[in-house]
Amino acid sequence: MSVSAVGSRRTLAKAGVLSALIAGALFAAFPVFWMLSSSFKANSEIFEYPPKIITSNFSFGAYTDIITNSTQVRFFINSYVVSLSVTALTLVLAILAGYAFSRYQFPGKNWMSTVIVAVQAIPPITLLIPYFGLIVTLRLYNTYPALILTYAAFTLPYAIIMLTGYFNTLPRELDEAVKLDGGSALTALRRVLVPTALPGIVAVGLYTFMIAWNEYLFALTLTRTEDMRTVPIGIQLLMGQHSYQWNEMMAMSILGSIPVLALFLRFQRYFMAGLTSGAVKV
Amino acid sequence: MTAAVGALLLGGFWSGGPALVEAGGGGSLEFQQWWEPELPDGELRALMDQFQEQSGIDVELLSGPYASTKEQVIAGAATGTIPCVVGLDGAWINELAGFGAIADLSAIMGDAGYDDSQLVSQVQVDGATYMIPVVNFIYPMFTNDDLLEQAGVSDVPSTRSEFADAAAAVTELGENSSGWILPLSLETPNGVQNDVMAWVWASGGLMLTDDGQPDLTNDSVRSAIEYIQGLWDAGVIAPGSFTMKEQDKVEEFTNGRVGMMIDSLAHINLIRENNPDLTFSISAVPAEDDYTGERGIPYASWGIGISENCDNKEDAWQLVEFLMSADVNTTLSSLSFGFPGNTESVPDFVEGDELFQAAFDMYQEVNPTNEFVGLPVAEELMRAFGEELQSLLNGDQSVDEMLEGAQERWMEEF
Amino acid sequence: MTSTVASARPGTGSDGVLAPYVRRPGRGGAALRARLTPYAYVSPTVVLMIVLILIPVVTVIYYSVMDNVIVNKHPAFVRFDNYTEVLTSPEFRTAIKNTSFFTGASVVAHLVIGLSFAMLLNTELLGPGVKALFRAIYVLPWLFTVAIIAVVWRLLLNPNGIVNYLLSSTGLSDGDIEWLSDPGKALFAVTFINIWAGYPFFMMSLLAGLQGIPGDLYEAAMVDGASGLRRFVHVTLPQLKPIIVAMVVLDILWTTQQFALIWMTTGGGPLDRTEMLSTYTYKWAFSRYEYSIASASAVVILLLSLVLAVFYVRHQKARD
Repeated sequence: MSVSAVGSRRTLAKAGVLSALIAGALFAAFPVFWMLSSSFKANSEIFEYPPKIITSNFSFGAYTDIITNSTQVRFFINSYVVSLSVTALTLVLAILAGYAFSRYQFPGKNWMSTVIVAVQAIPPITLLIPYFGLIVTLRLYNTYPALILTYAAFTLPYAIIMLTGYFNTLPRELDEAVKLDGGSALTALRRVLVPTALPGIVAVGLYTFMIAWNEYLFALTLTRTEDMRTVPIGIQLLMGQHSYQWNEMMAMSILGSIPVLALFLRFQRYFMAGLTSGAVKV
Repeated sequence: MTAAVGALLLGGFWSGGPALVEAGGGGSLEFQQWWEPELPDGELRALMDQFQEQSGIDVELLSGPYASTKEQVIAGAATGTIPCVVGLDGAWINELAGFGAIADLSAIMGDAGYDDSQLVSQVQVDGATYMIPVVNFIYPMFTNDDLLEQAGVSDVPSTRSEFADAAAAVTELGENSSGWILPLSLETPNGVQNDVMAWVWASGGLMLTDDGQPDLTNDSVRSAIEYIQGLWDAGVIAPGSFTMKEQDKVEEFTNGRVGMMIDSLAHINLIRENNPDLTFSISAVPAEDDYTGERGIPYASWGIGISENCDNKEDAWQLVEFLMSADVNTTLSSLSFGFPGNTESVPDFVEGDELFQAAFDMYQEVNPTNEFVGLPVAEELMRAFGEELQSLLNGDQSVDEMLEGAQERWMEEF
Repeated sequence: MTSTVASARPGTGSDGVLAPYVRRPGRGGAALRARLTPYAYVSPTVVLMIVLILIPVVTVIYYSVMDNVIVNKHPAFVRFDNYTEVLTSPEFRTAIKNTSFFTGASVVAHLVIGLSFAMLLNTELLGPGVKALFRAIYVLPWLFTVAIIAVVWRLLLNPNGIVNYLLSSTGLSDGDIEWLSDPGKALFAVTFINIWAGYPFFMMSLLAGLQGIPGDLYEAAMVDGASGLRRFVHVTLPQLKPIIVAMVVLDILWTTQQFALIWMTTGGGPLDRTEMLSTYTYKWAFSRYEYSIASASAVVILLLSLVLAVFYVRHQKARD
């Protein structure tokens, strides 16, 4: 095959991939783009017909209103504190549990797995009142731990299932290698498995953060005062009985997504280049 | 075993959780409502500070999103954590009173020697008051005068046939214009109350019998439904009805695409702000062509109540009394563009403003009607009626079937 | 010679050779510790779950066999009456039908789109900068809370909204489509929104999984002359299988209980076209104030998921 034929095959393939990526990007980003466009409009222009992308009233007003409002800034701070804590807690507990499920057989393993999986299907709305009562009884009402523990309980099943899956893709030879060198199971976990499963762990961590960041129902019920409430509640407060602050809602949502996006960009290098290739010398 | 666990849980969960309100005079109160975000920044807080000066009681405002208020109040009721003073909607009163979550205000008023003749209305269940409407928002008809003029309609319609003709004329204009708009979303089925039953009440009809039982197959309801079906079939209603919410309705009107709508007076300022160029007027909802009696007008309220598990109901009552006093009530109505719950008050936006003056006159003359207030599972009744109506409009059943179906479903709940 | 005693104990060390003849102190202790190790690892999780999940779940089950709790100060035990009420109601059947379609279509689409995007993002044909940009774009639907997603999509799909506008200006339709209010279209519209909102989960997990596939396997396949498609089917898919199975199970469970998205876009309507198990349960609890019936409905959903969960666990066991 001539060099130029290979070259043009490659260019064609590249063009194909790029066009597919762009088409996909339109699908993914159009609603977000509309959100962004709406956040710069005046409230009266949101329902204009024909709809415009940039209007004559283009302004950052919605954003400045939010940033200068101390209550809303507090919502952001609370969301950060809660989401980061939940992610840390869930990852630690799930790595331990996932390791156990992946590497060991023990009595009770099966029904524990079954319960962990099944429990996720209960509609949260029915759990709301008993759960609320429990939190009140535990004297955790309107505190950070209420939300942190709640979200950890929600995200653990997911994290354990995913991490067990990721650990299962790692060959046991990796563990054996550590044990042959005299290390314990914990060492194998710490030194080899975690670094190797890092892409999976990062994916799970990001998703946990996302779930905690975006949760609304329990955040509203388990908190009472403004100094404890989170961003999703802040957004809903803009949906009043008599008027909606559309542009502020969109702006707050965009502002709310920036930290998560930043986290994602920061950690996404862990998704590049496979980290197991060459780890096991066959 | 299960019974024991159950008893433990029951005991813990709703026979009163830890008391979260500090007892004692010169003390403090918590006031849960959704009103603060609706009022200009800081105004409600200022009123609470004024109360603090007068009575020495601190009030902490707990504001939540309107859409979730009902669930929060119920969850609070179930766990005994409802704050002392709580903002309420008439649709929830029957249940909340039933589970003993809110206190009997008649008794409290009696004890405090309060003269309740200054109250425009009280919401009662079984003869005892549980909620006092602080501010009332009536739902008159709004007409887009520009569109009507373009369509060649000179007067604001006041009878049903005039309305139907006007709506048809506006729709003829094309370009996305519609004569009328009907939000029938099943999520918050207020459309049934405000946009559908309004026609029944405007012609002096009722959907309940004298002793409060459902009476959906009577002539007034039937004629209103047939009328609405006529409008639907004539294509004069804006698209998207089945999942349209009140906010969408207002936005469509504000953007000049709708000729007439029935909507809350509280939106007047919103419309003015968002579209200063729109010329519109307020009038009563059209009645049947030969009807000359009193016309009812739907309304919704910001109601207030006191929770049963409150430790210092006397303090709580002082706050309620404060909010209902003539001056404060005037301020509140003025700020929220609603009409006062105190008979003496006149909100400031009425003076010198034609639209509002006309509306206020209407409020004082006309009968604000809302048969849904105080009914059991009021929201579910609205939803059931809404589902049957959607089915009718979609062509899946006849008017008789629809009314009988709705009547049956309502009877199940009574 | 390994002794039968030593080899019968899982997790013990490799010193079984000496086991039967030398009774070292602590020998039994080491074995016991080894047996208990997995329990130690799962115990924090178990404690948290028991307190925070199991107790409320048991409460819900308790509610479901009583005659209306919360509203009623003296609930009576009614055995399975609430379950009968739920299982025989036509609304429940409609809800199951709609939920099955919604869940099935969503999960399949999530998998296909997620896998396609993950493969696209994993290509060596483009530079890291370009890939990073597209990764960030593709992850966008994930970043927003459900309330906003519902609001934005309602704006987009409004009869006078941008989607209809684009369709009518390009002549693809006459621009009057009622995406969310037309009884024939609502379920599809809502499913589409859910597909948009949920594919990043699959995409990210698969992307992470793709990183973990050793390059040697692909090299070996290429040496054997396997084409791109062959490599995909025989190397990529089998390697990704554990992750795919886990995600499908999770997605089914999560989609089944998706409530807010549907409630805020269509409220279960028009008519009953988007009534799901979640909206059905919600209405019993907060609109009709029948917590017991709502709890019964929740327990039914739980039992259905238990079936799925059992299959999943069996599948995992077979793999081990």
